[in-house]
Amino acid sequence: MGKRVVVDPISRIEGHLRVEVEISGGKVVNAWSSGQMFRGIEMILEGRDPRDAHHFVGRSCGV
Amino acid sequence: MAVGVQIPENARILRNLLHGAQVQHDHIVHFYHLHALDWVDIVSALSADPKKTAALADNVSEAPWGGVSYYKSVQDRIKTFVDSGQLGPFANAYWGHPAYKLPPEANLMATAHYIEALRLQAKAARMHAIFGGKNPHPQSLVVGGITSVRDLSPDRIAEFLYITRETQEFIKKVYIPDLLAVASFYKDWGGIGGTSNFLAYGEFPETSAEPESLYMPRGLIVNRNVGGVKPVDQKQVTEDVTHAWYERGDAKHPYSGETKPIQENPEYRPGSGQYTWLKAPRYEDLSCEVGPLARVLVAYGKGHKDVKPLVDSTLQKLDVPVQALFSTLGRTAARGLETIAVGDRIETWMGALLANIKNGDTKTYEPWEMPDSGEGYGLNDVPRGSLGHWIRIEDGKIGKYQYVVPSTWNLGPRDAKGVLGPMEEALIGTPVADPKQPLEILRTVHSFDPCIACAVHVIDPDSNEVYKIKAL
Repeated sequence: MGKRVVVDPISRIEGHLRVEVEISGGKVVNAWSSGQMFRGIEMILEGRDPRDAHHFVGRSCGV
Repeated sequence: MAVGVQIPENARILRNLLHGAQVQHDHIVHFYHLHALDWVDIVSALSADPKKTAALADNVSEAPWGGVSYYKSVQDRIKTFVDSGQLGPFANAYWGHPAYKLPPEANLMATAHYIEALRLQAKAARMHAIFGGKNPHPQSLVVGGITSVRDLSPDRIAEFLYITRETQEFIKKVYIPDLLAVASFYKDWGGIGGTSNFLAYGEFPETSAEPESLYMPRGLIVNRNVGGVKPVDQKQVTEDVTHAWYERGDAKHPYSGETKPIQENPEYRPGSGQYTWLKAPRYEDLSCEVGPLARVLVAYGKGHKDVKPLVDSTLQKLDVPVQALFSTLGRTAARGLETIAVGDRIETWMGALLANIKNGDTKTYEPWEMPDSGEGYGLNDVPRGSLGHWIRIEDGKIGKYQYVVPSTWNLGPRDAKGVLGPMEEALIGTPVADPKQPLEILRTVHSFDPCIACAVHVIDPDSNEVYKIKAL
């Protein structure tokens, strides 16, 4: 098994991302990307007035 | 769509202007402030000769600032930072890493432009505020159209045009020349960090016909077959939760999608277990990269009249083959090329808006009735990539709502079949000179422009206290 390298948190991005790679012979041979935060806006929306939806979701993604 | 409304032409144009302005702004910020320091060694800039830097800048860019004294003053500013031990925005990087290839003068030039881009982006953000009320998260978008009625005035439109033109000038005279100058030292990255499949929903409808009239077209590229761009059907989108911290279940289309986080403490188990909050979006079971590279490849494959010549001339300038597009370098270059095309197109959209207003058409909203039941979706391509929202209305309320966002596509995990997410795939084969300083990893990760949290600000109306809630 190669050497494991974890970069956590990754800086200069929006959010919290963890990246783990396995290095063998000076190259990455395996990689795992891990989003470290739960969104869950969908759960907040259920049962609400549909006209409210864009006020919520427009604030969590669109870039 | 769920309510069966067709938005007026002006609303469509204003949405294009907002999206286009965001592409201009966002891509500049990404290149200079989120990505450049993976290629540019700030500390090396200290040993640059300001005179040689001025000559280099005159040679490679048409930046409106420069000269020996200018570069000397920028160098002095960096020196103050470094001497104080407070690196500010330049803290936490692998300065002096052997993978940095730029000569000191190129590092100084790029650092100067990093600072200039900070000023420029503050101005560019105002475009969004003109028709959207604020940046980010515009306030003027509503079902049925757009509410920026009072902003269709000569002074507001003139201000927008003034800023978009100034921004476009920066893009053409500074951003793109910098991109090419930096890329010429890192051509080996044209063979590192590529993926296989590309999905673009497309963006910027120029009539009510979608996807036919989209300026940046919709399409799917499988196994790098750029010549065989396939049509896209949203029915083929699913999300798989095998390796994500959700209750087990089959891959589901967003209309029937679920958000059921596991109830126990999430344990990080890379390998065969669960290891992320991101689901794994798939198109026809394919792991697809989305974003500027996907959009540019789809446009290129379809022979886009503006994008194709931009790509061809760039490949020629850098003297690299088409295959070099499937890489970290290709992803970063595509972002810049798209910015030229979209930024230029803003003039066309504004022309159409002005013609409508001249003819007395100032309609921006179409009334509609709220149905008791229905379903609908919206597909967009925002700066970071393909964004889809799906809603099902039941008894006048939201029955189901799911959205699949660009960074979930790009940074998602493996699926049930063990197929890697696009960024995981892209990292395989990346050379790492020093595992303790994995600069090369950051290059590929940053090239996707990850956005996995947007700050949601909640204000307590009693205390005016601002709570910050992070949302994925």
